[in-house]
Amino acid sequence: MHTDGYGGGRGARWRPAATGIVALASLALLASACSSSHGSSGSAASAHTTTVTIDLTPQGCAPKPAKIAAGPVQFNVTNTNAAAVSEAELRTSNLAKILGEQENLTPGLSGGFSLDLQPGTYKINCPGASVQHWNLTVTGKASGASWQSNPQLAAAVSSYGSYIDQNAASLVTHTQAFCQAIDAGNMARAEVLYPKARVYYERIEPVAEIWGSLDTEIDGRWENPVTVASQFIGFHKIEQLIWADSTLAGTPKLCSALAGHEQQLLTLVRSAQYNPLEMASGATDLINEAATSKISGEEERYSNTDLPVFQANVDGAMEVVGLLQPYLQHKDPGLLSQIRQRNAAVATLLATYKASPGYDDTGYVEYSTVLDPQRRQLSTAVNALAESLSKLSIQVSS
Amino acid sequence: MHHTERPGPAEAPAERAAPAEGPERPEPAGPSRRRLLAGAGAAGAGVLAGGLAGYFAGQGGEAAGSTSDEVVPFYGAHQAGIATPAQDRLAFGTLNAVSGATAGDVRDLLHAWTSAAAAMTAGRLVGEDTRPYAPPVDTGEAVGSPVSRLTITIGYGPSLFDHRFGLAGRRPSALADLPPLPNENLDPDYTGGDLCIQACSDDPLVAFHAVRNLARIGMGVVEHNWMELGFGRTSTTSSSQRTPRNLLGFKDGTRNIKAEQASLMNGYVWVGRETDQPWLRGGSYLVARKIRIFVENWDRDYLQDQQNTIGRVKVSGAPLSGGTEFTAPDFDGTGSDGQPAIPAHAHIRLASFEHNGGTRILRRGYSFTDGIDPQAGTLLGGLFFIAFMKNPAQFARLQQSLAADALNEYIQHTGSAVFACPPGLRPGQDWGASLFA
Repeated sequence: MHTDGYGGGRGARWRPAATGIVALASLALLASACSSSHGSSGSAASAHTTTVTIDLTPQGCAPKPAKIAAGPVQFNVTNTNAAAVSEAELRTSNLAKILGEQENLTPGLSGGFSLDLQPGTYKINCPGASVQHWNLTVTGKASGASWQSNPQLAAAVSSYGSYIDQNAASLVTHTQAFCQAIDAGNMARAEVLYPKARVYYERIEPVAEIWGSLDTEIDGRWENPVTVASQFIGFHKIEQLIWADSTLAGTPKLCSALAGHEQQLLTLVRSAQYNPLEMASGATDLINEAATSKISGEEERYSNTDLPVFQANVDGAMEVVGLLQPYLQHKDPGLLSQIRQRNAAVATLLATYKASPGYDDTGYVEYSTVLDPQRRQLSTAVNALAESLSKLSIQVSS
Repeated sequence: MHHTERPGPAEAPAERAAPAEGPERPEPAGPSRRRLLAGAGAAGAGVLAGGLAGYFAGQGGEAAGSTSDEVVPFYGAHQAGIATPAQDRLAFGTLNAVSGATAGDVRDLLHAWTSAAAAMTAGRLVGEDTRPYAPPVDTGEAVGSPVSRLTITIGYGPSLFDHRFGLAGRRPSALADLPPLPNENLDPDYTGGDLCIQACSDDPLVAFHAVRNLARIGMGVVEHNWMELGFGRTSTTSSSQRTPRNLLGFKDGTRNIKAEQASLMNGYVWVGRETDQPWLRGGSYLVARKIRIFVENWDRDYLQDQQNTIGRVKVSGAPLSGGTEFTAPDFDGTGSDGQPAIPAHAHIRLASFEHNGGTRILRRGYSFTDGIDPQAGTLLGGLFFIAFMKNPAQFARLQQSLAADALNEYIQHTGSAVFACPPGLRPGQDWGASLFA
């Protein structure tokens, strides 16, 4: 999932806290649009929702009001005449994480976003304004059941943070080794080390996507979402040069920048906080990704090393299931058993493509040798797994 | 198979007739998704709070005045979608059980399908869950669309009765793949299937939504085998309907069995006591044939030859032996030249019951297109032929006769499947329990 398709050419923005509320708000809007009693539609949506107005100006993006109560919040963003400012983002107070945003507001346009806010301090960020960061304070009590008070969920979240940190750290070290091979001009060695580094990213990609542009810089594919040659700079540009163009020319600089972006990612994940919903929807996202870009061979189109990263997607998702197992055993044992069963079906199919040492030392055959009927089998199994995983999010949220 | 969000129990039509209550009730009307949603909109605050008490308010009440709000009852002696006056649109899917699926999985799936089909054909969603952190149970694209006489008809392919699910002993002896037949060049990608779903509606989105949601419910147990969309009916199945035209430009279905002809329905369409499997009594066999029409060639044929090929006048639909559309063809009649008025190889002659020992079938096909043939640049389309019958041998006999059909120059059968469609259900019954009884 490198892009959500409507990100205006920027990286995908994962907004776990907001997703459900946005969807719910859309339903309510759709509903009122069809209702004969159109006058009541606004009040229906706003009954429990706080509205925050943000005017984009050359000077900034002050939220009005700047202090609100916790709960569902509708942000209405308007650009009257700020030529240099075109978006407002809601970020965590350390600016590290985007929670919600409205992009592409040129003068005269308005838009908005909605999400459910817990108590705390947030920042409104509007790049291009003379004062870019503005405070938003959310008061009151956290709404809904708190997962922090559930020891099984709290332990799962904590372990998940460690898993993300470890994989981000391994991503950095394995990429450094990859870059060393490149710097030494050893293409054969680079070919072997490329998939070894990739798997760490593919286990934790939904987390990396939280920081939008970093995902594009590290993992962006040509036309997904990158359409400007100068912005095609990550893993897949190097992959293209090595496998399609058979050259290392230009790769040392690219690899160095890649390692730098990964270091940024590592720094960010080390201070990031997660929640069970992010874990659950991240697991589904990983398998969705396997079901689309891996099955088609699009992800590793030059190197044909899709199978090890397919396995990495599954590993990342099943890590989440493993961490949530103590909780799920009581909450929904049937779902847990269905997930295990469907994962076993995927594992059985994947095992048929294992090889030693395998193509480029990956432990798997080259993906181009997996023909359409076999890909279809894999696709069916992995879609069934994803369908089960999609039912995790509500189990950890209620 | 495990469903955390199984659709609610199927409701009898009588329950839908209960008067709606609550101040948010919109204008009285038949059950359309549009009205359901209007109800939700007016009760929007309740939706945000997670409540849906008023969601179905407004769906009961007076009989629908327009076709688009018309509901075809799901329950009855026979499955809907066979004798039902043919709707304008079709979505047809065949599915295969995935490897590892068990008899219990299939039984549970058919149970879930029953509830979902009962809900959708009544104009309801397959399930309701507006909790923000659960994927919506219904995919949602039909919200706001009137039910438009949606029917959902399911069938079981011969392969369902192999060794996998312990159903070998339940297989009707007449249920088998068709023998090789004239003028076919079958594409394996459009052939066979363990199960089929025929969804018909006057709204294409409503029909598509039905197949999509049933397939989604089946994920992990069944997978898509092939699917076809039909964009215009090519048969009348009721004397209340005007005769439509197929892509040849000719009226089609003039002499079809009509639902009102009970003796023909019982004699040629509904499975009766002759079957060796009592569970199938009241059911029917569905034969699906994907028939490509080489429309470019056909369109170059001169009018009289087109009419001689079919045996009818193109515009009026009258047989070449004279009269009007519904005049019985006189296969013995001759023209002024002394030759048969309806040529020896005309399609309607060779396909007629008079020419086939009285054999008839209920045709219920649709025009289709799959776009453009990438190799030839010509239209990939034609007739998605569906017919219901007491025994698939009826179709085989007719198709054997059509070996000499003058129309064969312009068509080719490229897909084929046979399914046994179980009889209708009473409220409380479900397809799974009936098959695995």
